[in-house]
Amino acid sequence: MTSPSPNRPASATTGQAVERDPGSFRDPGGFVFRRDGVLYREIGESAFPDWEAFVASGLAARLIGQGRLIPYEDAPLSMAATADARAVVRPEALEFVSYPFEWTFGELKDAALLTLDVQLEALDAGWTLRDASAYNVQFRHGRPVMIDSLSFEPLEDGAPWVAYRQYCEHFLAPLALMARRDIRLGRLLRADPDGIPLDLAARLLPWRSRLSLGLLSHIHLHAAAQGRHAKGGDQAATAQRARIDRGRLRALIANLRGTTDGLRWEPSGTEWAEYADNTSYTEPATVAKENLVGAFVREIEGPMVWDLGANTGRYSRIAADAGKRVLAFDIDGAAAERNYRLVRRDGRVDVLPLVLDLANPSPGIGWASRERRSLLERANADGILALALVHHLAISRNVPLPMIADLFASLAPRVIVEFVPKEDPMVRHLLATREDVFPGYTLEGFRAAFAERFTIDSERPIEDSPRVLFLLTRR
Amino acid sequence: MPHVVLAYIDPGSGSLMIQVLVASIIAIPVIFRSRLAQLTSALRRRKDTPDPDDVAESE
Repeated sequence: MTSPSPNRPASATTGQAVERDPGSFRDPGGFVFRRDGVLYREIGESAFPDWEAFVASGLAARLIGQGRLIPYEDAPLSMAATADARAVVRPEALEFVSYPFEWTFGELKDAALLTLDVQLEALDAGWTLRDASAYNVQFRHGRPVMIDSLSFEPLEDGAPWVAYRQYCEHFLAPLALMARRDIRLGRLLRADPDGIPLDLAARLLPWRSRLSLGLLSHIHLHAAAQGRHAKGGDQAATAQRARIDRGRLRALIANLRGTTDGLRWEPSGTEWAEYADNTSYTEPATVAKENLVGAFVREIEGPMVWDLGANTGRYSRIAADAGKRVLAFDIDGAAAERNYRLVRRDGRVDVLPLVLDLANPSPGIGWASRERRSLLERANADGILALALVHHLAISRNVPLPMIADLFASLAPRVIVEFVPKEDPMVRHLLATREDVFPGYTLEGFRAAFAERFTIDSERPIEDSPRVLFLLTRR
Repeated sequence: MPHVVLAYIDPGSGSLMIQVLVASIIAIPVIFRSRLAQLTSALRRRKDTPDPDDVAESE
C-alpha cells in the first residue's frame, strides 16, 4: 500500500514526516494523519465514490454550515500518506481532543443528540451514518461537532441502520445508566472503548427502566435479541431478512432521539456541587483572589489554560475573560455539569468543562494503549490554574508535595497555584477525622518542594485569608 | 446485501432484527394517526358541503 506508484508525486511517499493517527485505523475507507504537524484526512479508493457523492449532494456543506460537521479544506493529492489515496482534505484542527468518559452527562447527551440530528438530516437527504461512535464527536467552541467526514454513505432502500447497535452502546446505555442508576457509571466508557455492552447495561439498570418503552426496546429487548441471535442460526440469512422502509427508519431514529432526550439528571447532592458557595472565603478574600488570579493569568504566554479542580468554573471564566481558552477539569461530575450548563446558558465558546480525577488521570486505552491517548500525552496547556487543589491531593489523597510539583511540571510551563495551610478551615476539616501524618505540609515545605521544579515569579498572600497564591515558571 | 457488506462495524444480526421489529411497533401509532387524519379530513369535507338541515339546526 505504501510503495510509491509511478504516477504519483514523489513527495507523497518520501521526504516529509508522516505520522498516522494511532486512533484512526478501523475504517478501511480512509484515515487521519499528520504531515509535518498538519492534520490531514486521506480518502482511499473504496470510499472515494461515496465521498464524491456526499460532497456533491450538498449535505456536507449544509452540515458544516450548521456547525454539526467539522469544516475542512481540500488539500492536494501530493499530501497523501499512501498510494491508495484518491483525495486528501485538511480538517480544521481541534484545540484539544477529549473523550466521552471525560464528558459531563450533559456533554455526552448533547453529543448523542447531535449524532441523531445529523442522522435525521442525512436520512432526509438520502444518506445515512455508517457509524455512531462517541469518539466521532468532539467539542469545538463549546458545542459538539462530528469530526468524521467519512461516516456518510448513500441510504439504500430498505437498509436498516448499521450503526444502531453502536449508538446504543456508545450513547444510550451510558446515558441511561448515569440518569437511571448512578452518574458514576459513565466511567464504564473508560473501561471499554467500544461502549457499554447492552447485556451489562440491561443488568445494571433498575427494573423499572423497563417501563420506559424506549429503554425497554433499545436496551432490554435489544440485549435479549443480541443474546438470541448470537447463539446460532444463520446470522447472514437473518441480516438479509432485516428490511425497513424509510418511514419506519425515520420513526426509529426519532424515537431513539426522544428516548435519549428524555433521560435527565440533575447535578445536586454530590460532594462538590455546592462547594463554590460554601468555601471559607470572606467577601474581601474572594475579590482579592479573583484580582490576583486575573493578574497572574495575564502573565501566561500562549492561549491554553487548564484549570485543575475548576469546580463550577468561577476562575476558568476569569482566565477566559483574560483571553485564554480554558479546559475546566473537576473530579466531580455534578460540578462539571453545572459548569457546562452555565457555559451553554452564556453561549461561551472559551471554556470546556471536563470530568477528571487528577490522582487517576485518563490512561491510554484501546489498541496498543494508543488508540485513545492518555491525558498526559494530550497535555497542551500554556499554563495551569491549581486553586484550592493542592490540599486535596496532599492530604485527602496522600500525594507528597514533590510529586504534585512533578505532575504540574509535566503539564505546563507556567503554574498558578494556591497553597492552603493547615490553619485554614478547609484543611482543618480534612484533618478532623484522621491523624496528621503531614509534618511537611507547611508553607516552607511547599516552597521547597516546588522550588525543585519551578522558579517562583511571585508569591502573594491572599488578603483576609491564611492562603498564598504563587506564580511559577518551570525550570 | 451491499449495505451489510459495506458496513465496517459489525451491525449485529440481533440489532438488525430488533430495530426492524421496534420500528414496526413505533410506526403503528404514526400510521394510525395518519389514517385517522385521512378519515377526519374526509368527514370534514362531507360536513363542509352545504347541508340545509345543518343550517337549520345552527339557527
